[in-house]
Amino acid sequence: MKNNIRVERAIKNITQADLAERVGVSRQTINTIESNKYVPSTVLAMKIARVFGKAVEDIFTLDDED
Amino acid sequence: MKPLFLFPYWGRYLGYFLVFVHIPFVLYKKQLMGVHGDEADMGIFNGRHLFFMSTTLLMAIGLFIAAFSKEKIEDEQIVQLRLDSLQWAVYVNYLFLIISLVFSTDTEHILFLNLLVPLVFFIIRFRWKIFQNNRLIKE
Repeated sequence: MKNNIRVERAIKNITQADLAERVGVSRQTINTIESNKYVPSTVLAMKIARVFGKAVEDIFTLDDED
Repeated sequence: MKPLFLFPYWGRYLGYFLVFVHIPFVLYKKQLMGVHGDEADMGIFNGRHLFFMSTTLLMAIGLFIAAFSKEKIEDEQIVQLRLDSLQWAVYVNYLFLIISLVFSTDTEHILFLNLLVPLVFFIIRFRWKIFQNNRLIKE
């Protein structure tokens, strides 16, 4: 699964640590999601989408491998 | 996803401390009585058995608490890493168990190995993965 969290963060001008705090996970988790090493649960994906005020599909998209 | 019961954060250090404390006792005993001690001193609840039981319990409880204590920030990735590591630990343990059952008849030491391997491997694998994630963030 791909995501554009890094881009969305840049638009909103918030750091990984800010985002992590808002959705209640560690900075490491946000970092591994951004670098496609970890696929978040639906709950976490929806929380992240809510921070950016967008739908989940606008931020997370399915990969060819999925 | 709510994890099952875990010990508080400081449990990790308490666990390491207990494991560390048991080492000098065992070394002292080995120096005093040799590896297997007095062979005449057999049976349950005698000096040798009590000593073995208390030091082994110290170590096993220490490892157990160290393995199953909370991280500073418990999130879903930590829960997943913990479960992955646990699966790895069980695999490695059974590999060791099968190999030692085939190539050895020393059941006492097989049992002892079986006591150590899952927890030790779990702790190493879990901490290694967390270390990797921490290193990734610094790049």
